[in-house]
Amino acid sequence: MSAFTRRSMLGGSALAYLWAVAPFARAQNSASATASAGTSSAAKVAAANTSWTSYAGTTMAHRYAPLDQITAANFNELEVAWRFRPDNLGPRPEFNLQATPLVANGRLYSTCGARRDVVALDAATGELLWMWRIEEGARFDRAPRKLSGHGVSYWTDGQEERIIYVTVGYQMISLDAKTGRPDPNFGVGGIVDLKLNDDQEIGPEVDDIGLHSTPCVCKDVVIVGAAHTVGTSPKHHANTKGYARGFDVRTGKRLWIFHTIPQKGEFGYDTWLDGTEGVGNTGVWAQISADPELELVYLPVELPTGDYMGQYRRGAGLFGESIVAVDLHTGVRKWHFQTVHHGLWDFDIPCAPILCDIPVNGKIVKAVAQPTKQSFLYVLDRVTGKPVWPIVEKPAPKGDVPGEWYSPTQPIPSKPPAYDRQGFTEKDIIDFTPELHAEGLELAKNYRMGPLFTPPSVYDDNGTWGTLLTPNATGGANWPGGAYDPETHLLYVYSKTEADIAGTIKNTNPQRSDMDYLYSRGTPAPGGKATPRGKFKPGQLTVQGLPLVKPPYGRITAIDMSKGEHAWQIAHGETPDEIRNHPALKGLTIPRTGRAGLLSPVITKTLVICGEAGYFTTPQGKRGAMLRAYDKATGEEKGAVFMDAPQSGSPISYMLNGQQYIVLAISGGSHAEEFVAFRLPKA
Amino acid sequence: MRLTPWLALAAASLPLTAAVAQTASKGVYTPAQAARGAALYAANCTRCHGASMEGLDVAPPLTGQRFLGNWTNQSVAELAKRIRTSMPLDMPGTLGLQDSADITTAVLAANGYPAGAAELPASASGQQPLTVDSPPAQ
Repeated sequence: MSAFTRRSMLGGSALAYLWAVAPFARAQNSASATASAGTSSAAKVAAANTSWTSYAGTTMAHRYAPLDQITAANFNELEVAWRFRPDNLGPRPEFNLQATPLVANGRLYSTCGARRDVVALDAATGELLWMWRIEEGARFDRAPRKLSGHGVSYWTDGQEERIIYVTVGYQMISLDAKTGRPDPNFGVGGIVDLKLNDDQEIGPEVDDIGLHSTPCVCKDVVIVGAAHTVGTSPKHHANTKGYARGFDVRTGKRLWIFHTIPQKGEFGYDTWLDGTEGVGNTGVWAQISADPELELVYLPVELPTGDYMGQYRRGAGLFGESIVAVDLHTGVRKWHFQTVHHGLWDFDIPCAPILCDIPVNGKIVKAVAQPTKQSFLYVLDRVTGKPVWPIVEKPAPKGDVPGEWYSPTQPIPSKPPAYDRQGFTEKDIIDFTPELHAEGLELAKNYRMGPLFTPPSVYDDNGTWGTLLTPNATGGANWPGGAYDPETHLLYVYSKTEADIAGTIKNTNPQRSDMDYLYSRGTPAPGGKATPRGKFKPGQLTVQGLPLVKPPYGRITAIDMSKGEHAWQIAHGETPDEIRNHPALKGLTIPRTGRAGLLSPVITKTLVICGEAGYFTTPQGKRGAMLRAYDKATGEEKGAVFMDAPQSGSPISYMLNGQQYIVLAISGGSHAEEFVAFRLPKA
Repeated sequence: MRLTPWLALAAASLPLTAAVAQTASKGVYTPAQAARGAALYAANCTRCHGASMEGLDVAPPLTGQRFLGNWTNQSVAELAKRIRTSMPLDMPGTLGLQDSADITTAVLAANGYPAGAAELPASASGQQPLTVDSPPAQ
């Protein structure tokens, strides 16, 4: 069992407690004063404090803050209001802060630091109000998902407030939001051990289960998924299973469990030709959404064990890569929709389903729109699970990996069009110049190419080196997800365009894994040497140091959800230095290429705001990344402010004490993680 | 830069290192060092970054544009330090100067930076003058 330490709070004495909460009291008072200072009701509305109480704004996952103090006209005047650097949380600085903070009642909450501590800050000043930490010993050390995680969850009944999160060691903890102290009524001393009561035997330290996303809190239920070690080359095909569970938010009592891998006799079991005893994973590591009115929870499920290998899980394999709607209170399945049958591309459903009420053919449809790695937006009626626009089963290419099972068809949405390139063919090859294109073609011919869902292939030193894959296993879109404006019915999603290799290789080392085949990225065996051909080495997808795939490398797409059509699409992210300065491109005028990364914008009344995914050097010689603002209706860039590092966690926006804030996590490379808050200078 | 006589003398008396190469594209490691680094990478890094440094949902790729975006125009010492102090995630700080330098060279090799005549020094001061520039056109 893990050990608490008294250092988990900023002091355990009554005196220290008062010190810790006093700044919040000040913030509360000043907030009230500001809210009542307006001279008209409109001013009061404008000045009212707002909150951000779930990872993507609310459990509907819109990432929408209907605020308009920061506009196209003044965006470039934004200045840093405060920074919070968690360098001294955890035993060392961390460099990959993926969290989205929450804001309620003037306090900002997040996980951060290498130990995934929880902090409460004054949302106006960044002052630390309290912090919570827990040492988890071996269960931390051996956990599959480290780092600070995607943040915390918030619950209130109007009186009590709780901050709930999942530790690196897979424990769910409920803290009093005002003090940071564990809630004694929740679980055992504020903690629910998620390795218990999971309908499978899980060792306290060694099993492969954890979670880095935030629990979904809807009404009085908190829903938690599971994540595992990334499945490119799993040690065991019968890995730990990743079930989803609902808990009473007050007591931590388990209310229900949903078997994402059905047990014998349960619905979906017959979609597994080999039974389900020998497979694992199929977790819900993405953010979960919930509709409080329908009282339905939408689970975005990942694929079963083996990202590119399915020999042990022949069949369509429900509920792998499915959106599953379950009852909020019972976990009973209402409907499901499988986006990929028998996945072989690591196209996990990576992010929160967006719950949107959209006008289609003169009727409001309660829809769920699911961004995916493969760059389709799957749009379904969220009451029934039926596609809003036809999603057609179309024949899918068959592969030739020994023992593999191939789904004869895959579901292809007729609308909206994919928001990024899919599959890899000659038209995707770098084309800055005819010479580069010819060289790219020569490189690509060492691989198999084809449309989306072209299967992985076995590395052959005398044949092809694998299958080229775009989007690759990290998207397209990924865990940050998208955003939706309920007033204009435009949905926004960032995606990246990267090529990678879907390849496998016969496993010759049973000590390493009990899988027959393992992932290969241009390698003949783990650690083995591959034979170059001409100037090309297997696994290296660059031409003269430039990406094999042509730009844009990152883009934001606006999708009109009333029509299922793109409204606009832009490249997002400054052209990387190594492209701007490349000798082969000297003299060419290259439009902004965008940057590949894992991003989501936040949207406000008029703007789409998103940081860049990578560093570049400004004309003044500063190295950093920009936070950019685009016109929501047209995609036209309206402003940009400099940041010291790329966006690593998605931005939020809120109003506090009469000022609009934009807060986001930045980090990367040698820049340790920090939260940065922007606001306009006071006149 | 013109070396003062005593500096030149000191440089001449040092074992042969890559510190004079200045940029990674000129060759700042040996093939043997990169092979050592690849073995260390396989043992310590594949769980999160993938067997071929392709990157996964939780960890960025260590090759290609996203890697270069983080490290171009930075000192090799910064990259080696990041590896030495924050990696691997399950045992950060355990690699030491030599192993983290070796892994650094495996990462450089995977990004198309060529080998040279001398090893990448293990010391931060030896690495500091070396810059990660753009990889050379093959």
